[in-house]
Amino acid sequence: MKAFLVAFGIGVVLAGATGAQAYHRFWSNCNYDAPTFMTTMTRDAAQDYANAARYEGYQWGGGCWNYDDVDSYPYDTPGDPSAHGEGGDCSGLTFKTWRESTDDWRDGRYYWRALRNVHGPYTAGDFRNGVGAPNHVIGKATAGVMDAFASSTHIGMIFTRSLYGGDQIVEAKCEACGTNIFYRTYRSDPSYGGVARWGWTG
Amino acid sequence: MRRPGIRSLAGGAAGIVAGVIGGIALTSVSAASGPTPAAPGIDAVHIPPVLTLAGEPVRLRYAIVCAPRDDGEPCDGSGSVFVRAGQSGPFRQLTLRRGEDSNDGRYFVDLPREVASSRAGFSYYAVLRGGVNGAEITVPAGGEAAPHRSVPLGAAAEVPLGVHVFGRGRAPDERVVAAAWGSEVGQAGLVGSRELGFVGPSSFDVATDGSVAVLDQVNTRVERWSRSGVKATPVEVSGGLADFVLEPEGTMDVLEPPNRVSPAPVLRSFRGDGTLRWAQRLSDRTWAKLAAGPSGPVVQQQPSEQWLPVAEHGAALSRPAQAGHGRIGRPFASGREVVVERVGTGELRLAELAGDVVRSWRITSATPLGEVQLAEPYGNHLVVVTKTYTDDQSEYVTLVLDRSGVVSSFAVESLEWAESAPLARFRLAGDSLYRLGSTRAGLFVDRFDLEVSR
Repeated sequence: MKAFLVAFGIGVVLAGATGAQAYHRFWSNCNYDAPTFMTTMTRDAAQDYANAARYEGYQWGGGCWNYDDVDSYPYDTPGDPSAHGEGGDCSGLTFKTWRESTDDWRDGRYYWRALRNVHGPYTAGDFRNGVGAPNHVIGKATAGVMDAFASSTHIGMIFTRSLYGGDQIVEAKCEACGTNIFYRTYRSDPSYGGVARWGWTG
Repeated sequence: MRRPGIRSLAGGAAGIVAGVIGGIALTSVSAASGPTPAAPGIDAVHIPPVLTLAGEPVRLRYAIVCAPRDDGEPCDGSGSVFVRAGQSGPFRQLTLRRGEDSNDGRYFVDLPREVASSRAGFSYYAVLRGGVNGAEITVPAGGEAAPHRSVPLGAAAEVPLGVHVFGRGRAPDERVVAAAWGSEVGQAGLVGSRELGFVGPSSFDVATDGSVAVLDQVNTRVERWSRSGVKATPVEVSGGLADFVLEPEGTMDVLEPPNRVSPAPVLRSFRGDGTLRWAQRLSDRTWAKLAAGPSGPVVQQQPSEQWLPVAEHGAALSRPAQAGHGRIGRPFASGREVVVERVGTGELRLAELAGDVVRSWRITSATPLGEVQLAEPYGNHLVVVTKTYTDDQSEYVTLVLDRSGVVSSFAVESLEWAESAPLARFRLAGDSLYRLGSTRAGLFVDRFDLEVSR
């Protein structure tokens, strides 16, 4: 019994070590439920969905969050997908908001709940190039609400335009930035292109 | 030392396994929030038609943003607009209708013709409701005390720009700052990677003595270039893409974005020596631009889409006090304000107000127009810097306007290798326009003399 108790203590300490903790951190709350196939996908429902991810943090390669308005792991190592923290990254947030399939040849609408851990098959650069059946490139001047601007390194969705000609962008930009709505000038930035999802229904 | 028995080894192994499992469970429970989602609050989107053309019908549109529904359908909202002709008197309540399309805002109301075409313009605010808990939001945040104001553009000077020809940018008169990337004094901080993109100093300002102050937030300092050299002043900032202004008496204001631990934007006011005077949360969730107003810093904020004061005479204003003093234009020391509205793809409406519209301009361009970086009075003129762009090119267009149209204009090449704050690329000081730019080699500030008598 004495050996068991001593070893139990060692085990608890080991569990707190970075490797084990990283693997089982926020993602231990996430699920792998099937998405709900939808016939509708409106721009304002997409605003609702992306807006609710605000404050929930950023995770490189991630796509799982709750709605408690706190990033449960705000100091993950940037660019480390094994950190398993809360939040999506830029392309993961876009993929889920745009109700896309993990199969890039499907263009149907798949509703993923917040705690469903899925990033999707696309990088920001893929979106930039219109890769995948649901996605396409558009002219930046015509990009509207919940269309997006993407570069080779980042994608953000248009929450709305603004008086001064920039856009309010909902995005998961970096670990320190978290997920939020920021005023950006991607529309006029040559490193960004306009991209959109086919199939909005209203 | 006694050799361990089989039972001890088995007990130890079982203990380690149980401990690891227990420890993981404990850290998961303590570190992560539970899986039960809480309902997010309500938010809203509205772009006010601040400058209207004669006879133009006015439809006010709102997006009501609330917690995502489990069935994936949009928020079921409702609301009213309280509107009046002119800028005083009682408001009349109009109920918002719900449309089929949400691209420009699903909820709308068409203003009665006598209100929309009033010579004194009109003013209004909206109260919006939505979500399962019936949350409510007022837009603009100041409501009845500081409603949106819309004024007729009147007899505006028409400024057709035609098709922009790229590649004819004017050379600067002087490069007043040139700093390599780095952390030494005289260098400028750079953070990022080829995979994530690069961020450099996010904003700058020009003092009355002509010295140039750069917010080097990556190195948590303000660097000041003058004829006598470079001086660095440490400031405690988060490192995010912030805007920055120097107030006339030397106070340094830094407008921080939200970040991973502080979900709301904050204005920090620093003394000239870099010590913090105060920090104040903004009224709204998002900011576009920080500027020095007649009695303190003012910020263009969303969703109100107004300029709100954040401090007056050195003292920070509470969030309700900010909201209660919102206005559509940026205020200047002359008592006038400049109103900006980018419309559609290639139209820019501008007006200078002193109560009513004093003078106005309607700029149209065959090449799309982007953001308005700067619109400020310059003697009897108005200086405007806006961006024009195609899908793969961009350039800034600088216009010096008088009552009848364009007095002078020139293009400025957009050299923006590292990201900065969105509307912080240009400053007007003295008789010159200053531009913050960057290349792979480092940061620079260029000066363009306006060569127009005030």
